[in-house]
Amino acid sequence: MTVEEQVREIVAKITHADKSVITRESTFKEIKADSLDIVQALVAVEEAFGIEIPDEEAQKFQNFGDFVSYVEDRVAQGEKV
Amino acid sequence: MSLEGRLALVTGGGRGIGQAIALKLASQGADIIVNFFRHRSTAEQTAKDIEALGVKAETIRANVGDPAKIDEMFDMIGNKFGRLDILINNAASGVGRPAMDVDVKAWEWTMDINARACLLCAQRAAKLMEGRGGKIVSISSLGSPFVLPNYSIVGVSKAAVEALTRYLAIELAPQGICVNAVAASAVETEALKFYFKEGLVKDNRQVTPVGRMVIPEDVANVVAFLCSEEAFMIRGQTIIVDGGTSVGLFTLLGKES
Repeated sequence: MTVEEQVREIVAKITHADKSVITRESTFKEIKADSLDIVQALVAVEEAFGIEIPDEEAQKFQNFGDFVSYVEDRVAQGEKV
Repeated sequence: MSLEGRLALVTGGGRGIGQAIALKLASQGADIIVNFFRHRSTAEQTAKDIEALGVKAETIRANVGDPAKIDEMFDMIGNKFGRLDILINNAASGVGRPAMDVDVKAWEWTMDINARACLLCAQRAAKLMEGRGGKIVSISSLGSPFVLPNYSIVGVSKAAVEALTRYLAIELAPQGICVNAVAASAVETEALKFYFKEGLVKDNRQVTPVGRMVIPEDVANVVAFLCSEEAFMIRGQTIIVDGGTSVGLFTLLGKES
């Protein structure tokens, strides 16, 4: 499973959204993710990939694609908690 | 006031108010365990800053919203140190919403981290304080006695913290454990900047009689006092640190907006 697929799975589980509607262009509002959903998704992704996502970075995410790209970059850097 | 030789656990001690408390207790000689959840790098930097003060520092990652993680954290403290002298229940989270918009998920998230964790940490900490006494200080906020915008569930969780503080103070007094809380108004932290940005909190400098906002060190100073023997006869209290904002609220009625 790719990083994108794993992140999509996590976000879909937390927001109860259908995976097929979550594209890289989807905004959190479109997925109906509220602020708590986003925090829970960040926590779940951090734990799944062993990375740290500072709040300042997370606040820059405009859509699901930004979130995935950030995680892909960090995973590529091999950061481990 | 010296805390030399004492061992303190500060939940959420890596940044903001928790970081200021950790550094203050360290400056008085206490060794510090910095609990963090999401921000490892800031927690590790805080630990370095603590060590620079000439005491020992440890970091422990644990989500205090998860009872199993609290158990793991205290098992680790018990195995490594076999004791604990001071517990600071500082870690907090919350969802900024009006009460009518709070759902079960937001309620549980906020209450688990802000209130339940205080109980579970106190229960485990008290066992590590057995036979030696100790101090437990929890961080509350003015959102408990007063209504703040979009703060409903967090305010409720802090009310629970304050009530729990009273019950624990009485139950644990015979064991030599002092339990108190400190409630601050809006404190200048990274978390508050986020609330400003989201429009959930307005700049309250104008309504603070002393002319500035509360800073984390203001809270840390009071916490350190409550951890000292000088505060021995203060039990089950919530000390307000707000520069006079709460007692001066009605004076605002006479001010032009």
